[in-house]
Amino acid sequence: MTELAQAVVNGLQMGFLYALVAVGLTIIWGLMEMINFAHGEFLMLGMFGAWWLSASFRLDPLLAIVPIALVMYVFGVLVYRHLMRRVQGGDPFTQIFATIGLLFLLQNAVVAGFTSDYRFVNDTLLQRLGGARLNVLGLTFAVPLLLAAGLALLLFLILYMLIERTEFGLALQATSEDRDAARLVGIRPQRMFAVAWGVGAALVAIAGAILVNFFSVYPQVGLQFTVLAYAIVALGGFGSILGTLFAALLVGVIQSVTVVYLPPAFKDAFVFASYLLIGLFRPQGLFGRF
Amino acid sequence: MAALLRLESSTKSFGGLLANREVSLTIETGEIVGLIGPNGAGKTTLFNCITGYMHPDTGRIVFDGHDITHTRPERICHAGVARTWQVVRAFGRMTALENIVCGALQRTNRIAEARARARDLLQFTGMQGRGDMPAATLTLADKKRLEIARALATRPKLLLLDEAMSGLTPTETTAAVKLVRRIHEEMGVSICVVEHVMEVVMPLSHRVVVLDYGVKIADGAPDVVVRDEQVIRAYLGERRAHR
Amino acid sequence: MARIALVIGALAAILYPIPLQLQGTTYYQTVGFLVLVNAMLGLGWNVIGGWAGQFDFGPQVFFGIGAYTAALLYVKLGVDAWLGLLGGVVVAAVICAVLTYPLTRLRGHYFAISTVAIWMIVQPIGATWEYIGAAQGLFIPVKTHNTILGAALSLQFSGPTKALGYYYAALVLFAVTLALMAWVERSKLGFYFRAIRDDQEAAEGIGIDSRLYKVIARSITAAVFAAAGVLYAFWALSVFPEQVFELNWSTLPIMATVVGGIGRLWGPVLGAAILIPISQIMSTMLGTGPLAGRGIDLIVYGLIIIVIAAFRPTGLLSLPWARWFRRERAVVA
Repeated sequence: MTELAQAVVNGLQMGFLYALVAVGLTIIWGLMEMINFAHGEFLMLGMFGAWWLSASFRLDPLLAIVPIALVMYVFGVLVYRHLMRRVQGGDPFTQIFATIGLLFLLQNAVVAGFTSDYRFVNDTLLQRLGGARLNVLGLTFAVPLLLAAGLALLLFLILYMLIERTEFGLALQATSEDRDAARLVGIRPQRMFAVAWGVGAALVAIAGAILVNFFSVYPQVGLQFTVLAYAIVALGGFGSILGTLFAALLVGVIQSVTVVYLPPAFKDAFVFASYLLIGLFRPQGLFGRF
Repeated sequence: MAALLRLESSTKSFGGLLANREVSLTIETGEIVGLIGPNGAGKTTLFNCITGYMHPDTGRIVFDGHDITHTRPERICHAGVARTWQVVRAFGRMTALENIVCGALQRTNRIAEARARARDLLQFTGMQGRGDMPAATLTLADKKRLEIARALATRPKLLLLDEAMSGLTPTETTAAVKLVRRIHEEMGVSICVVEHVMEVVMPLSHRVVVLDYGVKIADGAPDVVVRDEQVIRAYLGERRAHR
Repeated sequence: MARIALVIGALAAILYPIPLQLQGTTYYQTVGFLVLVNAMLGLGWNVIGGWAGQFDFGPQVFFGIGAYTAALLYVKLGVDAWLGLLGGVVVAAVICAVLTYPLTRLRGHYFAISTVAIWMIVQPIGATWEYIGAAQGLFIPVKTHNTILGAALSLQFSGPTKALGYYYAALVLFAVTLALMAWVERSKLGFYFRAIRDDQEAAEGIGIDSRLYKVIARSITAAVFAAAGVLYAFWALSVFPEQVFELNWSTLPIMATVVGGIGRLWGPVLGAAILIPISQIMSTMLGTGPLAGRGIDLIVYGLIIIVIAAFRPTGLLSLPWARWFRRERAVVA
C-alpha cells in the first residue's frame, strides 16, 4: 500500500513538471488554436541550452533559466513572425506540415552541431542535494525532485496570474475568442499571437532547463514530450490553464502507478487509455469550454 | 386531422437561462406559420429543438405522428423536416450544384438522379447558370437561395426558414417572398418562418405565433396578433401598449 | 488534356524501371517503390483527412495490423500473400470501424488526440504480445520461385529482379487504389464526406449521419493502409512493432498530401513524387560521405517543407496549371 502511495506522490511531483511542459502548448494550441508539432523541440533546445551553459561556463541550470527564457522568447516570436503567420489563415494541415518541417530542421540542426550522443549535466545545485530526503507520514520525498516540482508550480502560477489577472492576459484571451472584436477594442492580434508564441516557447524551454537535472539530453528527446503535452492539454480541456495543471498531475500519477504493476512500455499507453475513457464521458476534456 | 407538427409544453434552459418555457404550438399540413418575437425570445432554440440539434428538458415534440423529442437531426430530416440557418451555412468548398446534390442524396442513391434533381432546383430557385460556382463565392442572397434549394432537395414535408430574409435588399426580399409562396403552392410543403421583418411575415403567414422571453404570448391570425396588447408591449414597450 | 497526361504518366510509370534494370541498378526501383507506397498511403489518408476533413494521425496502426495479419496468416497457416492481403484489409477495416465509432463523439482536435491514443496503446501491446512475436516480431522466410508468375502470385520476388518485381506489385496496388478512390470521390460517399468536412451540423440537417460516415471514411483509410502494410511486410520479409507502427507511415503520406493539395485526388501522388525523391537525393548527396550522420539532409528537407508551407499553403496542385496549359472544366475538387 505504501508502494502505491509513494508512486502517487512521485507522480504528482513529476506532474508539476509536466504541467510546465504543457502550459506553453495550452497557450499556443488551446488559446490560439495553432498546431505546433515542434513543441517538444523547443523543450529540447532548452535542455541543450542548459547543458551547454553548464558545460561551457559552469552555469547552474536553475540560473540558466533566465537567459534561456529570454532567448527562446525571441525565438518563439521569430518563428511566429516568419513562418506561422503565413500559414495561420489556411488549412490547419498546413500548420501541421509547417511545424513538422520545423521539427526536422531544429532536431537535425542540433544533430549537426552536437551529434546524437546522449549528454548529461553534472554537479548541478539540485543534483548536489541528491542524497537529501524528506520523510513525511511514511512517504519519502527526494528533495531535488520536490524543489523542481515546487519551482515548476511557482512558474505555473505566475503564468496563471498573467493570463487571468493582468490586462495583457485578458487581451490574449479576447484575441482567442474573437479576433475582430479584439481589434475593435484596440488589441493588435498579430502582436498577441507573436507574444503567445514567445511565451509558449520560453515556458517549455524553462521546463527543459529544469528537466535537465533529471533526464539525459539528446536531440530526439522532444517527440515523447510533444505527444504527452498534447494529451495533457486535450485532457484538461482546451484553453483551460487550471485544466492543464490538473490533467498534468493526473498524467504524472497514472504514469508512475502504471509502472508499479506493468512493464514501463505501458506507462504512456495507460495515459492515453485514460484519455479515451475520460473523453467518452466528457468529450470536451475535464475543464473544457465546449 | 392530426397536426403535422405538435409541440407539447417544450421547455429548454441553458444553465440559468430559460430559453423556452412550456411552449406548445401546432403546425397543420399546408400552413405557413410565422414565428416572431424580439431578439432573444427563444425562436432559434425552438427550431433547434424541433430539428434535433438540442432536446427539450421537458415536453414532447411530435412530427407526422412520430415522437421526435430525442431524435438526432439526420433522422428528423429523414422523417421530413428540413431547415435553413440563421447564419447561412453552405458547403463552401463544393459548388452550388454539389451542395444541392448532397441534399438530394437523402432520397436517392443514384448520383445521376440526384444531379438531375439538383439542376431542377437550381432552376426553381432562380440560380440557373451559377451551379458550377464554389458556394463560398456566391452572394448572400444566392447562398440563402442555395440553402433553400438544398433543403428542398430532401423532399421535406415541413420547411423551417430561420431568418431567410435577413441581410437582403428590398428587391431580394421580394424575390425571396415570391419563392416561399411558390414552394408552398407548387410543392405542397408546410412552412414555418422565423422573421423580424413585419412587412414580410404578416402578409405571408396564415397564422402567427409570438414568443417573448421564452414564452408563447400569442397565436392566431396575423391581423389579430398585431393588435394584441401583450405583443405590442413586448416589441414596443409599456407606453405604446395603451394607445 | 488531362486524359493525355494520364496516359503519358501511366506509360512512364510502367516503363520507368526497365532501362535501369537493364543497366543493373536497382536503387531507383526501390525509390519508385517507396514513392508508390507513400502515394498509395496518401490516397488512403486523403479519404479521412482530405475529404472527410478529420485530423487523423493514427492510421499507421492499421498499416501494422495489415502487415501482422498477413504475416501471421502466412507463417502460421501458410496462406499466400494476396489472400493474406484480403485478410489484412478486412481485419483492419473491422477493427477500425469498431474502435472509431465511439470516438466519433469527439470533435476536431479531441478526435485527433484519440487517434494518437489508439496508436500509443497498440504499440506496447504489439511489443509484448508473445503470439505475434513481441518485440522481435515475425519473420517471413524467403521462398524462391522458378517462374515470374509464381513469384508474382505469392508476392515473393527474389534474385536480380527482386526490386523490379516489388515495384510492379506496388504499381498494381497503387493503380487499384487510385481507381477505387476516384470512384469513391464521385459517389454518394464522396459527397457526404465533403459535406461533413465543410459543415458537419449543416450536413446532419440534410440527413447525413455524420458518425456513420466518419466511420466509413476512416475504415476506407484503414483498408488502404492495411493493404500497403501487407505489401511492405512481404517486401521487408519481417514485421516488427517498431517498424510497422512507426509514425512516419502516416506523417510522410500526410505531408505528401499537403504538398500536392489536400482533398484533391492526385494531391498525394504529386506530393509523394516530389518529396520522396528529394529526401533520397538529399540523403545520398548530403547524408553520406564527410557529412554523414550529421542530419544535414534532413535539415534541408525541413527547410524545403517550411518554404512550401509558407509560400504555397494550398498545395502545389492549386497552382494555376490550367491557365498555363489550357482551360479545363471544373472538376469535382
